[in-house]
Amino acid sequence: MKKWSVRLAGATFAMAAAWTLSGQGLPVTSERLLKAADEQGNWLMYSRTYNSWRFSGLNQINANNVKNLHVKWLFQGRHIEKFETTPLVANGVMYLTRPENAIYALDAATGRQLWAYEYRNPARTFNCCGKVNRGLAILGNTLFMNTLDMHVVAVDARSGHELWKTEMYDYTAAGGYAAPGAPLIVKDKLIVGMAGGEKGVSGFLDAYDPKTGKRLWRFHTIPQPGEPNFGTWDGDSWKTGGVTTWNNGSYDPETNTLFWGTSNPWPDYNDDFRKGDNLYSCSVLALDPDTGKLKWHFQFTPHDVHDWDSTQIPILLDTQFQGMNTKALAWANRNGFYYLIDRTTGKFLMAKAFVKQTWAKGFDDNGRPEVIPGNEPTPEGNDHTWPGIDGGANWMSHSYSPLTKWLYVFAREEHRVFSKNTVPHPTTETPDRPVAAGTLPNAGAYDPGLGGARTQQVGGPEESWGKVIAVDPGTGNVKWEHKVLTPPWGGVMATGGNLVFGGTLEGMIFALNATTGERLWTFSANGPVFASPISYTANGKQMVSIPAGDVIVTFGLD
Amino acid sequence: MLSRIFLGLAASAALLAAQNVQNQALTGEAARSAEIAKTNPFNTEADVQQGNALFQVQCTYCHGARGEGGRGADLTAGVYKMGGADPDLFKTVRSGIPGTEMPASRLTDDEIWKMVGFVKRLGSRGLSEKAPGDAAAGKALYAKNGCAGCHRIGDEGVDLGPDLSDVGRRRGLAFLEESLVKPEAFVSNTFRAVQLVMKSGPAVGGIRLNEDDLSVQLRDTNGNLRSVMKDGVKELRRDKPSLMPSYERLSKTDLTNLVAYLNSLKGAQ
Ligand code: HEC
Ligand code: HEC
Repeated sequence: MKKWSVRLAGATFAMAAAWTLSGQGLPVTSERLLKAADEQGNWLMYSRTYNSWRFSGLNQINANNVKNLHVKWLFQGRHIEKFETTPLVANGVMYLTRPENAIYALDAATGRQLWAYEYRNPARTFNCCGKVNRGLAILGNTLFMNTLDMHVVAVDARSGHELWKTEMYDYTAAGGYAAPGAPLIVKDKLIVGMAGGEKGVSGFLDAYDPKTGKRLWRFHTIPQPGEPNFGTWDGDSWKTGGVTTWNNGSYDPETNTLFWGTSNPWPDYNDDFRKGDNLYSCSVLALDPDTGKLKWHFQFTPHDVHDWDSTQIPILLDTQFQGMNTKALAWANRNGFYYLIDRTTGKFLMAKAFVKQTWAKGFDDNGRPEVIPGNEPTPEGNDHTWPGIDGGANWMSHSYSPLTKWLYVFAREEHRVFSKNTVPHPTTETPDRPVAAGTLPNAGAYDPGLGGARTQQVGGPEESWGKVIAVDPGTGNVKWEHKVLTPPWGGVMATGGNLVFGGTLEGMIFALNATTGERLWTFSANGPVFASPISYTANGKQMVSIPAGDVIVTFGLD
Repeated sequence: MLSRIFLGLAASAALLAAQNVQNQALTGEAARSAEIAKTNPFNTEADVQQGNALFQVQCTYCHGARGEGGRGADLTAGVYKMGGADPDLFKTVRSGIPGTEMPASRLTDDEIWKMVGFVKRLGSRGLSEKAPGDAAAGKALYAKNGCAGCHRIGDEGVDLGPDLSDVGRRRGLAFLEESLVKPEAFVSNTFRAVQLVMKSGPAVGGIRLNEDDLSVQLRDTNGNLRSVMKDGVKELRRDKPSLMPSYERLSKTDLTNLVAYLNSLKGAQ
């Protein structure tokens, strides 16, 4: 048989590109990441761009034709755990994580698998809320993933070959550490957060060398002895104070500032041993990405007792505030307030509730809330407090559209019971009563970390519901509201076609008119949406992808 | 008051350490694993050959004729996520791997042991053989012949052909020599060549990564991932020739030395 017309071994080959993946769009340089907004067909980082707008400029799909949107392909996770991932797309190849810590490369036009990589965690990991992973970062030809057993791995994007892996921290230390979030590349560094805020860990944010996996800096989210604000913790409580960094951050190249939100202090609902503001819990950190040094911080909820993490994605936008053009940080917080902060100084500008709230009367000039007494968790359970445990917003992405100049938030209205454990807990882990995977082991002693949520009634729409809202970022005024049955666990994405995409807990995927909030299209995926949508092009055609349950659903027009 | 928290934490850590054991007790796994022999009681050559026969019928559907993987894991790597000690492999094959496609086996324990013997052999064929050639000279030949343009050894090279970092453990001497002179004699499912003659435009060739009735996905010879819709394809040629060029032209001594070098590659562990 005739040998191939191409010469093998070291020679180069001319290949037709028009009808195939155009190479793979690799390498993804840090310059490309800075200009990620211009790469209309791609999705190169978790929130698409460093300002974290989660906005796709693509407009092939728009209000006129969205009714024709239909499923192009599915990717079946075939895993008992749900997807929470945001896939990346580089020139026709989609890279995504599947629980627990697998990476798949797919043809973004057909969903056909190109390669797979699986990182195997130990049987027991210490994730609070499922063995999930939220996605990847890419730099050069390399993909990066955090693992549930506190490693960072680097994998060759062309083959899935593992290049290095680094242990961030002993995942079994304290009550258990985990790393379910997506990492973020900033310039030549890989920024990685961690979780474990309901287990008495000690939080940090790390930077690694993407080439070698060597750690370059670590920022302790709880001040260490001798550091400023160490005194905001009572006694030894700082040692187990939580304050994790489990979601993704944003980057402002103009001021070379990295923004990252922090979690609740521990014990979540019982503050008996942690008097004080508990810095830097429930805050946004503004860090120098080169050194990991803190430039400033803003604490949304001093001395939190409601588990109101501030791990939302920081959104960087310029807006009119009281007649002045302002470089702002826009933040719809889990505590129920929308905040506007000067992102160059950290100065508080304004806050306004975007969901029902009962805990704060107002704010002083520095943005410190005037707390209304009577909202604390109690042993018998306090049911007066809004928002609930999971907050008015959580980790799911919000989106900002430069077309409408509005912020879109998939908000949660929720009435839950806050309780606190003050008596020794009777149960311990025994062979006939094992701890379910993903829950907190109870040591049989008084465990002040327990307490908290009593879940809302199923199908009690008067007790809890969800809503997509369009917020004018300069005032916090709500321009429109689109109500849904249950508080969501999915994020939203605005597009150049003036649409807002999202999905509900029941698995209804929707597109709204970004100007009016009118619902223009739905698809019943019938699996809970625990992720945020993306949009990209494959062979020049706009596609929209969103996970529902353990399936990734991708839509297109024709 | 404070000390109580830390007491609690310490107790909780101790408890966690004990947890695996407890859960095993729960499932009855502890009792069963106590009965599992520490070393394979069926490890004569005849046992291994019977294991091979069983493997061909029971396992190749997923793991490939030579254990090279496909739908199931690559069993030639000599690295086992579920543990590589005899009792670990025995448990994996007998109970399957929950949450994956790896099924539990219905064969008798004796038969399972025989398969375990064969599975172990799959991952370590090169270990027992002593190569006659000069590995250092073979290393130079590896560099001179551009093998690294397609293969990876450790951090060097690319992933077009199989990773050779541990090929000396996975593969026996005869297999290695055959790979060099008659690459088509055996091509694992994960490295099958395809060549696509297009209705218009130049041909595309590479390693097939995936395929269905509508499209075929491949890694082209530059290492790029590609996806081609079949409606644009005039002719789809498979397997022959293999992408691995034949090195039949090398002298007998050179081949022996190259094989010695490959045999010296035992991987990280
Ligand atoms: C239906 C497909 C299927 C069949 C049949 C099958 N396996 Fe598997 N096997 C798998 C898959 C898939 C995995 C990898 C599972 C995982 O860990 O994700 C696997 C994993 C393994 C492992 C573990 C490898 C490791 O890294 O620890 C061993 C050993 C194994 N199989 C042996 C066998 C044997 C022996 C047989 C025949 C009795 C067999 N398998 C039959 C699909 C199969
Ligand atoms: C143009 C690419 C290319 C070059 C150059 C090349 N190979 Fe390969 N090689 C492959 C591919 C593809 C396979 C898998 C398909 C097959 O086995 O035919 C392979 C298979 C092999 C195998 C079998 C591995 C296994 O475990 O199945 C060995 C050994 C090997 N090559 C060694 C070499 C050596 C030594 C050289 C240089 C003298 C070399 N190759 C040059 C592409 C290449």
